Amino acid sequence: MSDRVEAVKKLFTSKSSRVETNKGESYYQELFIKCEARLNELRANTPANRLDFADLLEENGIDRREFMKWASATTAMLMLPPMFTPLVADAAVMMNRAPVIWLELQDCAGNSEALLRADGPKIDEIVLDIISLEYHETLQAASGHQAEKQLEEAMEHFKGKYLLFVEGSIPMGMNGQYGTIGASGETFHDHLVRCATNAAAVVAVGSCATFGGIPAASPNPTGAVGVMDVIKNKPLINIPACPANPANMVGVILHYLLTGQIPELDSLLRPKFAFGYRIHDNCERRAHFDAGEYVEVWGDAGAQNNFCLYKMGCKGPMTFNNCSIVRYNEAVNWPIGVGRGCIGCSEPDFWDKYAYERPMADAKIKAPSGGVEKSVDEFGLGMLTAAGVGITIHAAASAVAGKREKSGESHE
Amino acid sequence: MTIRKWIEQIEGEASVQFEFEKNHVSFATIAFPHTRGMEAILQSKPAMDALVITPRVCGICGHSHLFSAVRAIESVYANCGAPVEISQKAESIRELTLTLELIQNHLKWLYLVIYPELSHMLQEKIADSCRLKGAYAASLATKILAIFAGQWPHSSYMIPGGVTCDPTHVDIIRAEGLLDELIRWFEKELIGITLDEYVCYSSKKTFLTVTGDMKKIENMLKRTKMHEQGFSYDRYLAMGEHEFSKPSKLVNRRMAKVHSKFVTLEEAYSIDEKTYAKNALYHDDYFETGPLARTMIEGVPFIKQMYKNYRDSTYTRVMARSYEAALLLEHSKKLLQSIKLNEPSYIQPLKKIATLSGEGIGIVEAPRGSLIHSVILKNGIIDQYKLITPTQWNLSCGSPEIPGPAQKAMIGSDSIETATFTFRSFDVCSVCTTH
Repeated sequence: MSDRVEAVKKLFTSKSSRVETNKGESYYQELFIKCEARLNELRANTPANRLDFADLLEENGIDRREFMKWASATTAMLMLPPMFTPLVADAAVMMNRAPVIWLELQDCAGNSEALLRADGPKIDEIVLDIISLEYHETLQAASGHQAEKQLEEAMEHFKGKYLLFVEGSIPMGMNGQYGTIGASGETFHDHLVRCATNAAAVVAVGSCATFGGIPAASPNPTGAVGVMDVIKNKPLINIPACPANPANMVGVILHYLLTGQIPELDSLLRPKFAFGYRIHDNCERRAHFDAGEYVEVWGDAGAQNNFCLYKMGCKGPMTFNNCSIVRYNEAVNWPIGVGRGCIGCSEPDFWDKYAYERPMADAKIKAPSGGVEKSVDEFGLGMLTAAGVGITIHAAASAVAGKREKSGESHE
Repeated sequence: MTIRKWIEQIEGEASVQFEFEKNHVSFATIAFPHTRGMEAILQSKPAMDALVITPRVCGICGHSHLFSAVRAIESVYANCGAPVEISQKAESIRELTLTLELIQNHLKWLYLVIYPELSHMLQEKIADSCRLKGAYAASLATKILAIFAGQWPHSSYMIPGGVTCDPTHVDIIRAEGLLDELIRWFEKELIGITLDEYVCYSSKKTFLTVTGDMKKIENMLKRTKMHEQGFSYDRYLAMGEHEFSKPSKLVNRRMAKVHSKFVTLEEAYSIDEKTYAKNALYHDDYFETGPLARTMIEGVPFIKQMYKNYRDSTYTRVMARSYEAALLLEHSKKLLQSIKLNEPSYIQPLKKIATLSGEGIGIVEAPRGSLIHSVILKNGIIDQYKLITPTQWNLSCGSPEIPGPAQKAMIGSDSIETATFTFRSFDVCSVCTTH
């Protein structure tokens, strides 16, 4: 038992599983100069649309002070030192110079809903509003042939400069006939390849676009795959989760606008600023986990006192995402806040391996060989399971040790 | 002359092929050329997985899917002789979150589809920020939803036996604050009078006092002659049981009870286009479902008045949906006040889910109409899962002899543009239609 406890301790304290948040003075100085130059260059460009950031802020009753507060929070989220705050603010103002083309493939449009200000902090919403969306099937006014023309024009005009956001998986079964688009009956696959050809970078938004998502759930009736299985020769960023958090979409665009580069990614091509930590690391119920206090049955005393949901199947310990910090719907709440546990929606295969009420103890996932001493980059599904195994031990240990004596302090 | 049109916006795309004769639409086929195979995915998975997978059928009405899935599993419990007890509190919270999802859908549709489309048809400019206005209101509704459901879209907080959340007084106060803000927005931007006045409304005269965007939209509907077209079968169906809607059908002004055993599916009619949609029928007939059907069945005075003058025209359909948003706002206010915090959120069912074998059906009223989930479980594992979504009723694609509700409404339109608008008045939700 003692070496198991050691293993858990090692898992949570190992240096390499941390994200590097300080890259040294000279690195940031150099980046700062680069960003400044880039912003000056952007300033010279004409805005791609009419929406003006300052006007929108005013319309929404947001003053400069509040805006700068947002800018410094966003700078922190992007893991940049405070001196970058004015640059982030400038980049936000120039959001209407970042051409974005948004494709909807095999999806439920849930991520577009997020984009439609369904959630995300207020200023993030405004930033999303003014992102120069050149083509979005759900949001645009034009439809039919007119829309197809608009797409063609946008791709030509912003050749090599636009960010291609993709929502939804790509059905490969039956020669792609499970999903076609437009009057020509072009398959989703061909449509994606065509639109990606001249993109500066491709951003896969949501779990369907990143890993195939629900459509790829066993038995994967349509042969659905993620964007990274189709697009190989382009810079690609994955923003998984179901739905993807708008704050992370904004983060990626801002980063691109600011530095002209894509943010640092992990092995699954997810930006580290958002996916460098586990839900569990920053969970508000973490203290109860550490104390061995679990919800054992829905609605029990533990549930009423917001105890840890691990035994109810919470996948927080195996899921890399920042929802425990950013939360959803303008930071109103998040799944664990309503006592239902994380379902691991930003991890590959979550629908099959992580589904609802199956604590990792019962899940049929093989533990990988090798230790737990690996960096986040190497954290594939295998490693996630390792965390799962470690925690299973911990949860089991709490059961063995018997319930902790319930003293008054654990109640409210 | 045949014209094929690709209709996007809000939850996926549909392809509509119009036959145009003597300056009128003589027939139209509706096709949905994409699918994900959700029913196949659900098969052979544990029953509780339905709570995670079915909300993801749709990004805009996922909550309705969750509610249907929970009702379906609970109905299996009942059919296995172990009916699930649900506290009044859990019932109210479920109903509240569903109601909020309906409201946000209605407002988004009104501001992102209806208002801009009407302006486009009349070649009148509306401010760019107009769409954002509707999205803002919708975000208020989803924030309240998130207090109870954790997130929107795609929550899984309802479970057989109740809900997982255990709200405190603080949560209720936050929710009330947001709801008040939403109601104030509704009064200021949309109607220009108080919500109380609007929902108590009984005569045509009262509408004259309405100002705001609703007045503009109503006026535009008249100017585009939407009150003279878009007539469908005048047959209405609502199958979900809620405080705001009773399961009934209304045919020739006669109300009758409904039962899910009369619901059938048929292959969609198609000539040369591929479609993954199936038509939903009741007693072998097409029915209109959704806000117009619900308000007609409930006998809402405002809508009855509209109906008297303009029958089931596109005008009445649009007005019914926007008016239902007001009724639901009022309803959610009551629901929020009725939540008794000292009741349990969850009551453990008598049987373990892994021991259940049997059939179950869960029906709710989703934003666009009746949503049906039916499931067969074998030892807690899904043996079969069937989804029938609202748009499968409304956007059924029938033959020229017996067209579906939306098809019938489009036939006779004097232009493709007005026919398309009528189509949108039913609201496209293609991701649900083909699932």
